[in-house]
Amino acid sequence: MTLPGWTREPLVHFLAAGAAIWLVLTVQGEPVDPGSRTISVTREDRARLALQWEKTLQRPPTDAELDGLTEQFIREEVLYREAIRLGLDRDDAVLRKRLASKMDYLAASMAETASVSDETLQQWLDRHPERFAPDVRYTFDQRWFAQRAAAERALRQADPASEPISLPATMDRAPRGEVEKQFGLDFAEALDRTRPGERWQGPVPSGFGWHVVRLRARSVAPVPPLAQIRDQVEADWRTATAADRKEEGYRLLRDSYRITIDR
Amino acid sequence: MRKTAIHAALIIGLAAGLAACGDQAAKVADAEAEVALSEFPERPLWGDTHLHTDNSIDAFGFGTRLGPDEALKFARGEEVTATTGIKAKLARPLDFLVIADHSDGLGAMRRLYDAPRLLIRDETLLRWHDMMHESPEGSQRAMAELITAAANGDLPEAFQDAEENAKNARDIWTAHLETIDKFYEPGVFTPLAGFEYTLMPDGNNLHRVVMFRDGFERTSKVIPFPGIGDGQVDQLWDYMDAYEKATGGKVLAIPHNSNVSNGLMFELTMPGGGPITAEYARRRAKHEPVVEATQIKGDSESHPFLSPNDEFASFGDLGWELGNLPLTRDKNDSMFAGEYLREALKRGLSIEQRTGVNPYAFGMIGSTDSHTSLATGDEDNFFGKHTGNEPNAKRALEDQNLGTREGRFGWHYLAGGYAAVWARANTRAEIFDAMMRREVYATTGSRMVVRLFAGFDFTDADWKGDWVRAGYKRGVPMGGTLTDNGKAPTFLISALKDPDGANLDRVQVVKGWVTASGEAREQVYDVVWSDMDKRARVGGKVPAVGDTVDRAKATYRNTIGAAELRVTWTDPDFTPGQRAFYYVRVLEIPTPRWPLYDAVRFGFKLTPEAMADAVAQERAYSSPVWIGPAEGAAKPATALFDRKRLSRTQGRG
Repeated sequence: MTLPGWTREPLVHFLAAGAAIWLVLTVQGEPVDPGSRTISVTREDRARLALQWEKTLQRPPTDAELDGLTEQFIREEVLYREAIRLGLDRDDAVLRKRLASKMDYLAASMAETASVSDETLQQWLDRHPERFAPDVRYTFDQRWFAQRAAAERALRQADPASEPISLPATMDRAPRGEVEKQFGLDFAEALDRTRPGERWQGPVPSGFGWHVVRLRARSVAPVPPLAQIRDQVEADWRTATAADRKEEGYRLLRDSYRITIDR
Repeated sequence: MRKTAIHAALIIGLAAGLAACGDQAAKVADAEAEVALSEFPERPLWGDTHLHTDNSIDAFGFGTRLGPDEALKFARGEEVTATTGIKAKLARPLDFLVIADHSDGLGAMRRLYDAPRLLIRDETLLRWHDMMHESPEGSQRAMAELITAAANGDLPEAFQDAEENAKNARDIWTAHLETIDKFYEPGVFTPLAGFEYTLMPDGNNLHRVVMFRDGFERTSKVIPFPGIGDGQVDQLWDYMDAYEKATGGKVLAIPHNSNVSNGLMFELTMPGGGPITAEYARRRAKHEPVVEATQIKGDSESHPFLSPNDEFASFGDLGWELGNLPLTRDKNDSMFAGEYLREALKRGLSIEQRTGVNPYAFGMIGSTDSHTSLATGDEDNFFGKHTGNEPNAKRALEDQNLGTREGRFGWHYLAGGYAAVWARANTRAEIFDAMMRREVYATTGSRMVVRLFAGFDFTDADWKGDWVRAGYKRGVPMGGTLTDNGKAPTFLISALKDPDGANLDRVQVVKGWVTASGEAREQVYDVVWSDMDKRARVGGKVPAVGDTVDRAKATYRNTIGAAELRVTWTDPDFTPGQRAFYYVRVLEIPTPRWPLYDAVRFGFKLTPEAMADAVAQERAYSSPVWIGPAEGAAKPATALFDRKRLSRTQGRG
């Protein structure tokens, strides 16, 4: 084997060695560079491996198990770096997709924590007042009868006595949902058709039978101002617009690229 | 430069995200603190502790594409669009929900579905991938194969990579915990954290739903515990102990579908053989205070083979009694005793007599086990076991493909049950604690209100006053224990019909006891029923209530039955010194089951077998009250709230 004459020049050796040292130092100076030939498993790394094990099996690994995990970690790291060196990452659709979805998640969580202006929330509240209107509340007394005729007779009395049943005789400022759960949907609807007042009315039908009712109050409260329910409006707005904001996070990243598409 | 700026922004974003979690925890705590506790539980809270979303490997495989967000919206009463495109809404919202996705392969099926085809090396996985993309039916076939593979222990290796699975589980779990905290409205709607532990040796169902009392700060410190493999249930209990010790939180487990365990759920022996030890019994009772008695895959309360004198024992048994979960193993008669709850409660007494500890001192709840993200329990609004049987004209009569052999049909599914919880407020802590003290009951979907108090001095006069307060002051509610003082126990029992449902036929007390020689016995008493003056007992039995169901229209009328049934009942056969339990079973009048509603809605004819089972009496099962000697009686795992503090001032109608 013959080598060209210049390869035997001391100056060339010196420059080559210098370049090599520079390269090694530069590479080692960047600890995250996957091209590095040094793998240091720190105490933190081992602690993390042990923790991962513990989270799964609910007990710390033995020394032998931890050594096994460390070996597995090193093996994976070596193969990973070699794969990166060979450029295997560039045409792997799974990796690409996985990294992309991780980044998508990060970008979206950035948009998720961005603060939202009062103006945006006010608009949201104005567009969907029904979602934030407080439940209609009812204050009433009721007496129950198995038969309609008995209920009608009771209506003529000043203070009618109920037949026995395990239903509350009085509900005080009960939200509509609560009335529905205890008395059924028909009864709650009937209350909406009843005029509030101090006299007994009815008979009102329910799934249980017949009721005479004294509806003392039905309060329909106005939608509270934004300042009072800001958290609730914000939560609703965030849930309803999650997809939009994910897109927004993506746009933020995309805007930093110059993209050309050949057609 | 620009790149650096973006990275910095992302890191700040992440940090802000973590800080936001801390804020969220504080917000939750504040909102919980604002909820007023009533003096004693005033109305049952309704919920489902067993719902699957697209994060469950099989739910996704069966085609479900709705996730936890939609599941929570639906449960709290909003309209959502089901996977098959049909609008779905509950007539009445639920009060609480436990999304219990399978811990094994959390999210794995979605990843397989999303993976590029060229990169799937494993032949089985490739076939499943193709089947899932081919059609919804293909997706269901892939799923049936997967369940069988899991039951036989030959899942593809790619599904068994422990580290990868743990990592994916952690990602999904964390996101899930954030979601449920976002939906938590203390006092109004409560999502609790949970998962399903899918232990299934040879396809015999030993599944448990695991449910946490705590919020993100604690639950995010663990990941769901895997169940598939050759594990034993005490490993799950180790995991639960470790969680409680590490975080100061609380967690319980709820066994379900004992009816397809082929006799293994409530054995007389230890899982590995040998007589049950006191230590094992204590651990089991401590970790598993409540069992799911009824759900879509059948009812596990009783079986005619075990209770030949109980003419109502067969509800929800058909089809499920043929074998284990995937029907890879047949069932023989000797297995029933380890599968049905009434028998398990009896076995518990026998074991207690021998060891001093009752391993099977559990309360009862119902749930759905729906795999559609939709917690439906109503017969006329049934959205199916999984997306393949969301409402359609064929589902009622189709072979049920869960498994490899025939024998189960669509109509064998029940519409699913609900859990009723006597809690003082709608918060995580109150719901969890009520389950620990077993003050809960099961229904097959109906929302009837069932009260049970046991004591020694209740009389009919108690009904004239505030009997609920009297019940708490002078007795114990369902789930409690009485100490034998030589007197027969007396019960205050009330069952109020579902306000939007069917009238009540009868209330029964189911008693189990164990003789001095250790033999377990049972007796069902009819204690109160509708039209008692007209329906006199014939040969010791109360005659049937009648039937108003119009089979051609799938309607019924409340012209028979009662709105409420109440009774003060004293055990006429009490023998001092005998350990016993008493639970209440409430029956509604006959109503159409979901296959009949389907037949009318879609205009087809049910087969004779399906028609014979198309009308049923929906029911409720209370948790039992136990009585026994002072030492070793089945004590509740947590103390009741302080009953001495109940005031005498408030009245109740």
